[in-house]
Amino acid sequence: MTCKKKFFFSMLLQKLRLHKKLRLHNESRLHKEYRHNFPALLITTTMLLGMAPAWSQQSNPFEADPRAPYAGGVIFRAQCATCHGADGKGIASIDAPDLTLMWSARELSDNAVFDTIRNGIAGSIMPPHSFPDPEVWMLVSYLKSIAVSGTNRALAGNAELGRELFGANCARCHRVAGSGGSLGPDLSRVTARRSYAALVESIRNPTAVIADGYRSVLITNAAGERMQGTIKSEDAFSLQIMDSNQQLRGFSKTSLQTIERQLESLMPAFNPGMLSDADIENLLTYLQVQQ
Amino acid sequence: MITKRIGLGNNGQHMLRRHLGLLLVTWVTAVSAQAQTGPGYEDILQGFADPERWLTYSGDYSGKRHSPLQQITPENVAQLRPLWTFQTDTTTRGRGFETTPLADDGVLYVTGSNNYAWAIDAKSGRAFWQYRRNLPNDLTYGASAPVNRGFGMLGETLFMVTLDAHLLAMDRRTGDILWDVVLADYKVGYAATLAPLVLDDKVIVGISGGEYATRGFIDAYAPATGERLWRFNTIPGPGEAGSETWPNDPEILARGGGGTWMNGSYDPELDLIYWGVGNPNPDYYGDQRPGDNLYSNSLVALEAGTGKLRWHYQFTPHDLNDWDSNHMPVLADIGWQGQPRAVVMVGNRNGFFYVLDRVSGELLQGTPFTATSWAREIGADGRPIILNDGIKGCVPDPWGSTNFMPPSFYPDLNLFILTARETCATFVPEAPQSAPGQANFGGVVFIDGAAGSGALRALDVATGELRWEFAYPSPTFGGVMTTAAGLVFAGDHEGNFMAFNAATGENLWHYQTGSRIWGAAAMTFMLDGKQLVLIPAGTTLTAFALPD
Repeated sequence: MTCKKKFFFSMLLQKLRLHKKLRLHNESRLHKEYRHNFPALLITTTMLLGMAPAWSQQSNPFEADPRAPYAGGVIFRAQCATCHGADGKGIASIDAPDLTLMWSARELSDNAVFDTIRNGIAGSIMPPHSFPDPEVWMLVSYLKSIAVSGTNRALAGNAELGRELFGANCARCHRVAGSGGSLGPDLSRVTARRSYAALVESIRNPTAVIADGYRSVLITNAAGERMQGTIKSEDAFSLQIMDSNQQLRGFSKTSLQTIERQLESLMPAFNPGMLSDADIENLLTYLQVQQ
Repeated sequence: MITKRIGLGNNGQHMLRRHLGLLLVTWVTAVSAQAQTGPGYEDILQGFADPERWLTYSGDYSGKRHSPLQQITPENVAQLRPLWTFQTDTTTRGRGFETTPLADDGVLYVTGSNNYAWAIDAKSGRAFWQYRRNLPNDLTYGASAPVNRGFGMLGETLFMVTLDAHLLAMDRRTGDILWDVVLADYKVGYAATLAPLVLDDKVIVGISGGEYATRGFIDAYAPATGERLWRFNTIPGPGEAGSETWPNDPEILARGGGGTWMNGSYDPELDLIYWGVGNPNPDYYGDQRPGDNLYSNSLVALEAGTGKLRWHYQFTPHDLNDWDSNHMPVLADIGWQGQPRAVVMVGNRNGFFYVLDRVSGELLQGTPFTATSWAREIGADGRPIILNDGIKGCVPDPWGSTNFMPPSFYPDLNLFILTARETCATFVPEAPQSAPGQANFGGVVFIDGAAGSGALRALDVATGELRWEFAYPSPTFGGVMTTAAGLVFAGDHEGNFMAFNAATGENLWHYQTGSRIWGAAAMTFMLDGKQLVLIPAGTTLTAFALPD
């Protein structure tokens, strides 16, 4: 019976503690709203706007303010860089994503980014953040400023010629608008994600930057057959590739005679003799109008 | 604080209580004479003596994580197969399922991420009860590290720390909370994630949050009541011993960092507790805190009865790289230059493997176990000869050359086996603005991701030299267990749970768990004549055994 009494009293105590806590909690929230720990220019804004509800339903009040990305960068370096990297490009080993790519990859709104910073991501180590709203908006401004930008101008090449060039040179490995190969990345919407200069560089010198999932490997299986492909995944004991015939194949490493990692991309480097600058303009115009 | 238990037949139990009333009391009295009472201090002290038990984080107080079980051998380990998988339904993307289950009388007591916990039938992998703490939505450090490394156990009581920096005592039969005490104010930046160390009359815990404006401590609590018995502050107060290694500024000392978030070990004969201390605050910016910044990045030996400091050794004076020394200190009695010696061993985040006399704290040996360019030797004064503090580029990243994932010591082979991380990071310190409840690292780090790799390494304790290694594709956070049959069990970042020949490093078996093994090491025990080996990974806990 003592046990049950103890249980009853401990429940009662817990409830009392809870009430006290809730009260304390509310007080400390108020206190926090009036913190003056950030640059002086923010103080007034914080006091005026910091308590307004549902901020993320509104647009970024600093959208046109050129100082906002700078101020946001200061916050980013202090609060975000340890997981997302000093350059915002993420740290793969802790699943921290590349924030420079998120805008173009997922058509994010400012509000969605605001909400993610404010609320965190449940089930991950991305925590909620209690910064005043203006500071969160400044972070949004900063993140937009470091976003990898696409090809902004409307390209004026011949899209029809570009379509033919794509079919002849690219479609065996790359997909656009649902048709083409799978050995290389899908190029639908690629002009929105990458700048003109970056796209030209990828065509002229594809080995310079090779994304994860497209690194080349040459293997020899137990029967002595050679096979080339791209590494999709790998652990200490196994290798998962897409071979050059675009078939997914998994191997136990002990079943392979050789594994040769290659620095060269599987994609050929297109010199001006193969694709002129005008050809590339046409090709990219075709990709742009496909969006 | 509200707590909540979920489903799993608890309603039934409450109904039973309500309706059977006095009758039940009589019945309980009748059977209690035969009822198993949980393990006492003497049982934990015996360590691995009872093969059916695993009673404390490392299996015994020494932190060796070396089980005497020999049913699974290098010859038969290739036949190891999963018996069951338990799904936790709670995840921490970016971290891991870091717990070590405790085993007693066929029941596993397991803590999980986000302060879930379970009692699980070791035969079937089915839960008897589940506990979930109702956590506040404004967690600080706990939100960015929502993990837990396990229970402490004494009698019928389990002890668990929480992300809002409380210590709970729980009835192991039901998951009911017996008492709940506050360790520190989570709103300032505190949290707790370790497995409590249970002694005869004390529960010892440490605290997380060195990235915030906090001051670390190690606490002892009375198991029956939760009353605090002593506190050791890892950052001295003004005028206290060690404060001469800081600027004379109470405000800086009060937020000096020095978290104690990883478990410690215990020597019952010396009655000393060995515990690692974390980074000074802020992590990368040292200009505000000139000096060695004791007792950050140190191993401290505390008197268990009083919490008084007996000795300390600082691995990384004036740390600028977030190389917390929160590692499992491994106690062993070894032969050292022809003489028996009681030592404590640490594989440190700074890239050095240390052997210290555990009575006096004297440094016997410090040798690098990675390619760290920070330092390559320890000087005659016991201090590292620093070549590159990280500003010049390519030193171990803030997660270090190893981390808190447990290593293992194999006595008969005199091998210290640990997970090594080869990484390359450049630190750029920046003056921070400190605010309560906000993390501040004092700068940024550029990490060359392509340069990273990992390895399981076996170091000869006599010399610190590498005896063998097994390479991993990436920097790894999996821990290590050894068994006296000559086996090493380890996990890697790609999700493989593996067995190796302890003498040679030859890989003998692997199983892809489907998620990185992060911060956790295996545990093992006998159940109905069968040796089980358990590993947590992602959202699963899987038990392995040999076929019938």
